[in-house]
Amino acid sequence: MTTANEPYVLNIGPQHPSTHGVFRLRVVMDGERIQDIDMVIGYLHRSMEKLAEERTYTQNIPFTDRTDYLAAMSNNLGYCLAAERLAGVEVPERASYLRVIFAELQRIASHSMGNGTFINDAGAWSTPLMYMFREREKILDLFEMTCGARLTTNYMRIGGVAFDPPNEFYPAVNALIDELPDRIDEYTELLVDNEILLARTRNVGVLSAADAINGSITGPMLRASGVPWDLRKAEPYCSYDRFDFDIPVGHVGDCYDRFMVRLEEMRQSVRIIRQALEDLPSGPHKTEIPLALRPEPGEAYARVEGPRGELGFYVVSDGGPAPYRFHIRAPSLINLSLLRQMAVGASLPDAIVTLGSTDIVVGEIDR
Amino acid sequence: MSAALDPIRVRVRVTSPRLAVTLGIVLVLFGAASIGIAYVVVSGMLDGHWYDFRDLGLGMAHLREWLNEVNAGQPAALSAFLGDQWISYITGALLGATGILTFFGLLLLILVWVERRLIGRIQVRKGPNRVGPFGLLQPVADALKLIQKEVLIPIGADRFMFYLPPVLVFIPGLLVWAVVPWAPNMNYLDTNVGVIYLIAISSTATLAIFMAGWASNNHYALLGAMRTVAMMISYEIPLSLALLMVVLMTGSMQLSTIVQWQVDHHVWLGMLMPLALFTFFFSSTAELNRTPNDIAEAESEIVAGFHTEYSGMKFGLFYAVELGNAVAVGAFVAAFFLGGWSLFGLETWIPPYLIFAAKAFGGYFVLVWLRGTLPRFRLDQLMSFAWKYLIPISLLQVLLVAIEVTAMRYMHFPDFVELSLVGAANLAFTIFIVRAWATFLGYRPEREQVLKPTMAKQMGGLRAAEEMRTR
Amino acid sequence: MDSIGVIIGFYALAGLTVGAALLVFLVRNLLHAVLALVLAFLGMSGLFITLSADFIAMAQILIYAGAIPVLLVFAVMLTPHASRDNANSLFAPGGLLIGLGFAALFVFVAMATVWPVLDVETLHVQSFAGTVRTIGAALLGDYLLAFELASVLLLAAFVGAVALVREDEA
Repeated sequence: MTTANEPYVLNIGPQHPSTHGVFRLRVVMDGERIQDIDMVIGYLHRSMEKLAEERTYTQNIPFTDRTDYLAAMSNNLGYCLAAERLAGVEVPERASYLRVIFAELQRIASHSMGNGTFINDAGAWSTPLMYMFREREKILDLFEMTCGARLTTNYMRIGGVAFDPPNEFYPAVNALIDELPDRIDEYTELLVDNEILLARTRNVGVLSAADAINGSITGPMLRASGVPWDLRKAEPYCSYDRFDFDIPVGHVGDCYDRFMVRLEEMRQSVRIIRQALEDLPSGPHKTEIPLALRPEPGEAYARVEGPRGELGFYVVSDGGPAPYRFHIRAPSLINLSLLRQMAVGASLPDAIVTLGSTDIVVGEIDR
Repeated sequence: MSAALDPIRVRVRVTSPRLAVTLGIVLVLFGAASIGIAYVVVSGMLDGHWYDFRDLGLGMAHLREWLNEVNAGQPAALSAFLGDQWISYITGALLGATGILTFFGLLLLILVWVERRLIGRIQVRKGPNRVGPFGLLQPVADALKLIQKEVLIPIGADRFMFYLPPVLVFIPGLLVWAVVPWAPNMNYLDTNVGVIYLIAISSTATLAIFMAGWASNNHYALLGAMRTVAMMISYEIPLSLALLMVVLMTGSMQLSTIVQWQVDHHVWLGMLMPLALFTFFFSSTAELNRTPNDIAEAESEIVAGFHTEYSGMKFGLFYAVELGNAVAVGAFVAAFFLGGWSLFGLETWIPPYLIFAAKAFGGYFVLVWLRGTLPRFRLDQLMSFAWKYLIPISLLQVLLVAIEVTAMRYMHFPDFVELSLVGAANLAFTIFIVRAWATFLGYRPEREQVLKPTMAKQMGGLRAAEEMRTR
Repeated sequence: MDSIGVIIGFYALAGLTVGAALLVFLVRNLLHAVLALVLAFLGMSGLFITLSADFIAMAQILIYAGAIPVLLVFAVMLTPHASRDNANSLFAPGGLLIGLGFAALFVFVAMATVWPVLDVETLHVQSFAGTVRTIGAALLGDYLLAFELASVLLLAAFVGAVALVREDEA
């Protein structure tokens, strides 16, 4: 027996606890089941790419902090790599290592946040989030110690990093990386074998390897779908080719795999930081560059493995002090694009969990 | 490097002197009070006097006796008209109602603080600690803020139906406290249909919640209301079945008799019937909308469910009722399954109502603990858990309990032997049926292992992915 | 014979019940009519309490204030094209006839029955022994067949409801 129903349209967002910022899902529902999803973005648009055309190359670094505000270091790094490639600037050895250390610390902080909010979306009322904030807090303290800012770090420079870390930095970071594996084990004990979490996240929001590649998905989401692809190994930048680390790869491509891949990546990041700290070379931390950098006309694209996926910066120079064109390949935007495919046909709670597992940052989507 | 200079904050566990002093004073006072009570009780000074503070009901009974004597002197015409004992009747009713109302009001105020502090401790943060000593005045500040806030009514809402639900939800939340057996003589409404009273009163809240969700003219609220109603109706059945086991075993629906049965047999019903205890507790979390069953107001999905549109004190009433009901569940778990006011003889010198309150708050603490730990089920998972697991298993358990009760009537072993046999049989049955039923419905945890991510050394695309999968 | 409290209670509850029942068909909004109906049911359970019929009173609240209204409200709210007005309809004359018929029947039954009148002493002995035991014994003793038939009927209705709303697998 079938009954004709008018569509029940639910506007999730722009203000909603689990849209992680201001964007809107227009969901057409049949009871609790989702028939269609329409994603409405643009509430946080600040026209960064256009603004960047009016600023010098160095002045653009703070903009990159504010796109993905949970992974400012990775954004700085990606942009600086692109600008260096464009201007042909050499980076000292020490700066490369410091960049790796800070980018990996940032990855741990970002994954803590991502996994914490993901569990929050699954309904665990903030407890795992608070646990993960505890360690993120210490990483942010390290950032503050080094460059004076916690969130919008503005730490990388074209040609190196802004400051050498102070002397207190080294014991603190050593203590932190000694502590972190235990903490990650703690999260694992708290969450991973929890029957409710398994029931909520396994085989939810499944994305096959082929679909993920076709959809240009990158980062932990791609790896959770079973594709071993990580730019740090596939196309090593900075000094990643000198460190020994593994790339965790999931099996099914469901929300649970994404969660587990992020947890495992935190462990691997700790390994990288430990090796980088051991081999940290001495020397200058920065190549001096002219204040108003005027690269030769041309273009450059540099990509790094950010916490959310492949973070690309495309910079075109016309010989002037400001870029002629500046574009960011934002992983959040592209990872979000397949939400419709993953969530249609599922129930509303599943869609929310799937959205949480994509770990988006709206500042990066809208830029 | 000293700890003070260390930018990574070393966690220093120093108890603040203020806290230490306060705790010390409380401990000393508690010890003194205990010794005093013990002395007074052991010396036999109090026994049988109306002011025996071990049971406030005794004082009440003596007050009523005295009032009846006063009443006896009234003119015969008046007593023919109003009955023989109207003074004591009305006084008793008013005093009891005042007591419950005062308790409930204070409870709601203090619980806001308790819950937030407990959750704070669970989440490695402090919780409210600014307003007043230890943040104790936080609920007062919250209430003042809520009262001052403007009450918004959405456009298109049914105004009349929007106004009613907070009140209608509050009434059953208050009424269930009437049957709580605090102590042997401390029952406000010791009716012999207490269990049914409990189920009946709590079932009336469903309509109010549905009204709230519908009248708000809000899609989230309507979704929340539908979820609530579906869940409450489903979980009322296992809840009633669990209580049916209690009634079968004790042979009474009167709460005081149920507790007295446990006292007489020196056993807690929770030990005899662990499945009933679990069913009651789990169903209660569903009725209460608390984690892991808080899907009706799942914050991450439908914002606040049926009370999304309520602001000010209307929201405050919903919130307060939720907290009050949580303690009420603790109280009923204590009464039905944890021996009520008894504590293996200790109730002769500790006031029984304190034992009862401790047990009730213990149950409440478990609820808070669950809230701070577990994620949330999905609606269909909860529904299938009720209909496919809890209800059939409970029905079988009811059958078993009925057989046991009949057998106990015809056999004449000592109490201890009989109840041990019953407890062992129920425990064995519980373990067996849970395993068998889960296997029957296809749950095989030993076969599906949780897959950890595999480690890749080589990068690649789709082909590499397929190779990794086949390996 | 009764004390004044019971008499006052009876008239208050009877007034409430009848007033609420009147509201059911005077109120224009169908949902408000449902609420008035709930009020009438609650008044009825109060009347049962004044008769010391505690079990019936509680069953009345459980079923008619807890379960039935939810069903009614669901039916009203979720029927897509039904008007939510409590307006006049073609059923009114028929309804009036049926109502009058039932009223006549009840009046006749009430007048024709020979009510057993108990004296005060027996009442005091009997009334507070609790009605639950008596009802239980009656249901599972004298009226076992009717009781079981009712349960089989309910089961059939239950299965039938599931069968009706079940979507075809194909």
